[in-house]
Amino acid sequence: MTEVQNDFIQKRESIIIKGNVAAAYAAKSARVQVISAYPITPQTTVVEKLSEFVDNGLMPGTQYIKMESEHSVFAAVVGASKAGTRTFTATSGQGIFYAHEMIHWAAGARLPIVVSIASRGPAPPWNIWADFTDVISQRDTGWMNCFCSEHQEIYDEILMSYKVCEDHDILLPKFVSYGGFILSHTSKPVILEDQDLVDKFLPPLPSEEGWPHIWMDPKRPMMFGNLIMPSSFYYEFRLKIHDANMRAKEKIKKVAKEFEKIFGRNYGNGLIQEYEMDNANVGVIIYGDLALQMEQAVEDLRGEGYKVGMVKLRHFRPFPTENLIEAAKKVKLLGVIDRATAFGSQTGGPVSCEVKAALHETKGTATVLPIINGLGGREVTLEQQKDQLLKLVKYNETGELPKDMIHGTLWDGLLEIE
Amino acid sequence: MSDNEKIVEISMHCRGGQTCITASQLLAEMAFEEGFKDIIAIPIIGAERRGAPIQAFTKVSKSRKIKTYDSVVNPDYIFMFDISLLYIPRIKNSIKEGVTLIVNSPDPIDTSDLPNNIKIFLVDATGICIKRDFMHSSGAILNIPMLGAFGKVTGYYNLKTMEKVIKKEFGEKRLEKNMSVAKDAYESVREM
Repeated sequence: MTEVQNDFIQKRESIIIKGNVAAAYAAKSARVQVISAYPITPQTTVVEKLSEFVDNGLMPGTQYIKMESEHSVFAAVVGASKAGTRTFTATSGQGIFYAHEMIHWAAGARLPIVVSIASRGPAPPWNIWADFTDVISQRDTGWMNCFCSEHQEIYDEILMSYKVCEDHDILLPKFVSYGGFILSHTSKPVILEDQDLVDKFLPPLPSEEGWPHIWMDPKRPMMFGNLIMPSSFYYEFRLKIHDANMRAKEKIKKVAKEFEKIFGRNYGNGLIQEYEMDNANVGVIIYGDLALQMEQAVEDLRGEGYKVGMVKLRHFRPFPTENLIEAAKKVKLLGVIDRATAFGSQTGGPVSCEVKAALHETKGTATVLPIINGLGGREVTLEQQKDQLLKLVKYNETGELPKDMIHGTLWDGLLEIE
Repeated sequence: MSDNEKIVEISMHCRGGQTCITASQLLAEMAFEEGFKDIIAIPIIGAERRGAPIQAFTKVSKSRKIKTYDSVVNPDYIFMFDISLLYIPRIKNSIKEGVTLIVNSPDPIDTSDLPNNIKIFLVDATGICIKRDFMHSSGAILNIPMLGAFGKVTGYYNLKTMEKVIKKEFGEKRLEKNMSVAKDAYESVREM
């Protein structure tokens, strides 16, 4: 083993890093082979850190490609992934929108690309702060999508994601998203795992083998993404993308279990994570950074004798319908809290819409109260989250809806305008 | 609640270029190095520019996991890198009873508008930086002396821990100079 490769092996230690740096370390630990990069706030420091790693020889064999736009960034990882490599990039907000065409392309070609997203609000007005509308707007592309609520989870989830995506029964790309600035630029202790252990969990890709369905080999030329007639397999390919997403649920659960066995960190069943839901009367479904803070709110209110609980939604795609139905049976009232918008939909919130749809036709489950908060990085404090829980408790006990409901949804934390 | 059980919350005020964002991160690292169980450094990021009021927070706990990302509104400690910020109404009103202020000032400050039950510690961080030539392109690098003063006031970390963290973050090159300003502040901070 060369000296450079020796450096590549890390010792297990907790270091204090920003969420973006945790994402970069995860890509390094996953031994990604191709990184394409274009800067955009608040993601930029992910690809900055990776360029440092590559430049310092800490990622031997990894190609780092600077592109001129996010559309090209995604085109580059699509191309590299077709050649059978493990690929990584990161983007945010407008970058995702610009890359939208290639985002469809990656899922359509069934390429196991993993991309970290430091989520930010869509413009205009220009916004760079936490809001998951950017990544959720890619809902129907076929990409899997999960939310992280902690720095360590970003590192861990990227490792787990490669394992799920690259499974030959799945072969789908995935977004690993977290709130811009709230996780991307705050610093917390993160354990960087031993490279040997990571290699055991996520073996490096054997070179030049390629994926079972697509590869680049001049000796065995093949055509990619060509036009096929409506009478040909387009329709069937679409069904397969959906089918792979649905089957990925079991794989995600399996990988989360395996991860816990090796590294000792638990992420619920991988799809959702319940907290104090047993013997709760009132619960919330929540995702991203606000889910961790909500744990504190639940803990505090439990201390005051309120029977409240929560479900952290880890995966939005595939959507854990079955798990949410089961969780909803445990409580009478369920608040579903979005930090994202789905304009003109039933509730205005993308996840609350999906939860309502999931619970439809299931008897004996909770009433749903949709809540929207924190758009464009508007601060959501612990006190505000406790207040949300208390509003739900009151509604459950008295049947009295919170004041200021707008089109059936509680838009919490709006500025008071005279 | 004793310091051992609670989450200690620190708020830092500076002007762009006075290095409080880095200070919030270094404080977290020093506390963690000293065995605090959990820490978080939270910079408020917007459109920073030299001279504009900047704020950063650090939360540290010896025994509890920190689960919140929200701003610190009731700090236990406030770092005031620039005395002129103290008299901005928004900042002045955030100073509540029971808080401890670490102020960059050679002289006692005007406390007539401040609550009675507060502690104030003074350190001439700017003076120390000028004396030791610890400057960057637009002024003194105040974070290290401010952190030196904080270490002395709270006992959360000592100069040895500071040296370890500074070496880890910035390498050997300016270590001696960093430590000279840290030590000056550590030794000269005094209660008003």
